[in-house]
Amino acid sequence: MLYERKTAWGFLFRLYHWSFALSILALAVTGFYIHDPWISTANEGSGSFPMADWRYCHFIAGYVFTAAVLVRLYLLVFGNREESFLGFAPVTGRNIKNVFTTLAYYLYLTDRGGHRLGHNALAGTFYLFTLLFAVLQMISGFSLLYPESGFWQTVAGKIFGVQQEIRFYHFVFMWYFMIFALVHVYIVVWNDVWSPEGLISSIFTGDKFLPKGQEGAGKRA
Amino acid sequence: MSRNVCVSCLDPRLSRRGFLKGCAMAAAALGLSDSMVPRMVEAASSPARPPVVWLHFQECTGCTESLLRASHPDIGRLILDLISLDYHETVMAAAGKQAEEVLHETVSKHAGKFICVVEGGIPTKDGGVYCKIAGRTALEILKEVAPQSAAVIAIGTCATFGGIQAAYPNPTGAVGVRDLVHDRPVVNISGCPPNPISFLGTVLHYLTFNRFPELDGLGRPLFAYGRRNHDQCERRAHFDEGRYVEQFGDSGHLKGYCLYKVGCKGPGTFANCPAVRFNDVDVWPVSAGHGCVGCTEPGFWDTMTPFYERLPGVRIPGDEGIITKAEDVGLKVLGVAAAAVGIHAAVGAGKRLVAGKKQEKADQKE
Repeated sequence: MLYERKTAWGFLFRLYHWSFALSILALAVTGFYIHDPWISTANEGSGSFPMADWRYCHFIAGYVFTAAVLVRLYLLVFGNREESFLGFAPVTGRNIKNVFTTLAYYLYLTDRGGHRLGHNALAGTFYLFTLLFAVLQMISGFSLLYPESGFWQTVAGKIFGVQQEIRFYHFVFMWYFMIFALVHVYIVVWNDVWSPEGLISSIFTGDKFLPKGQEGAGKRA
Repeated sequence: MSRNVCVSCLDPRLSRRGFLKGCAMAAAALGLSDSMVPRMVEAASSPARPPVVWLHFQECTGCTESLLRASHPDIGRLILDLISLDYHETVMAAAGKQAEEVLHETVSKHAGKFICVVEGGIPTKDGGVYCKIAGRTALEILKEVAPQSAAVIAIGTCATFGGIQAAYPNPTGAVGVRDLVHDRPVVNISGCPPNPISFLGTVLHYLTFNRFPELDGLGRPLFAYGRRNHDQCERRAHFDEGRYVEQFGDSGHLKGYCLYKVGCKGPGTFANCPAVRFNDVDVWPVSAGHGCVGCTEPGFWDTMTPFYERLPGVRIPGDEGIITKAEDVGLKVLGVAAAAVGIHAAVGAGKRLVAGKKQEKADQKE
């Protein structure tokens, strides 16, 4: 079969993906420390400042995360066909159908995947959930960082409640990202094994390989 | 102040020096400049004392007990010189019918002028039958008194947010004053009990400026509830430098390290406890080696418990009564996801194996 190289992801999208992924990694690690500090300074009067330093890293990573989320929201509207909302959201007939095709493919029920240049709609649906949780995580994070701000008190107060409830949800949402990361990495590797599109390299290069003259990849390899 | 609290509190002959000291303390607590002190003195010594009606509902009288231990100004000064405490079941001399008459008289005589202080939550379920005084429900009493007052001060977490009786599952349907009174200004002085300084400061602010101090989104005065305990705590340095009490009684505890890991809720609690402290002896829970339990926050019995854990547990939906740690739930779900991934991968590998064997057979046949 002849394959051709097609550009799926723009530079800004790839920048978003990696700043999002790496900031989540940093946030989860530092967040766990803040939740349950495992290093205790044994001696007083030393120059160590662990909690302040871990929190500092958490906040820097939080700002990177925020920037990444804002870029993704921008791309939902102004991105290319693959990156924009209508490209993968299960709101059009084509995309809804794609959700089920992909589901059947993932469950080994068919050999024809719901492949396309951009996200399949099943993945896209979960990416939208992730984005929703990311926005909630951002709001809860900022209201924990700026507890005295009237703005964040009002916004987060309406959604979550008092500081302790905000902290609770902030912690619980983190687990979504951990589970998402596990499943996401697995499915990406699985796809790379079962259909030779170069999915993994596409998030570095922006390009995928599709059978010539056809949008979606063909049969399972 | 004399150590003999009872005698000195009830002694109305307070010296002028002591009186000025009280006004200066209250001005400092409110964050007013010292040029405001004379105005406050003038307002506080004015002969026209505002009448106050103090209602007790679902409560333990702890807020009153705390107020009785106030010293700047002390309770004697408060009820004899600053305000005219016409009705207060705990400290008033009258009882029974006479007490009820005083209430009606004050409410009708000073309609629109008196301050209504509410202590305790108000049960609303089943017509409010769970709290009755003189044959009337708390709900009825509040609905009668509050609309005729100039303003309402809710003192204590019960009156502000419902308190312990509003904790899950809230069998009496208890609520705070702000949930019921909408046509009068309501100031929430939350806490279990609140610091008397926060209450007296609010009263003095009202006497001086004829309006309440600036409030936060939950109706609490910002001068007292504008900052988190964590940000004013004397153990904050230990927090930043990673020195924690691992369990009560360990060496870190003896050295006065941060109580974060044994469940201190200071990081989520807005109050002035570390700054103002209690009872003239400069204590508050953390200075005595116990974490903050977050008593000034709405629903603290539900959101701040377990008191010795960082975060509240997760109530498992559909299975009434089972509560577990958030990280346990998270780890379990992560485990299930990992298992699903493993099974999925195994099925895929098996399928490939079978397909490969079929291919081999087909090749052999050819």
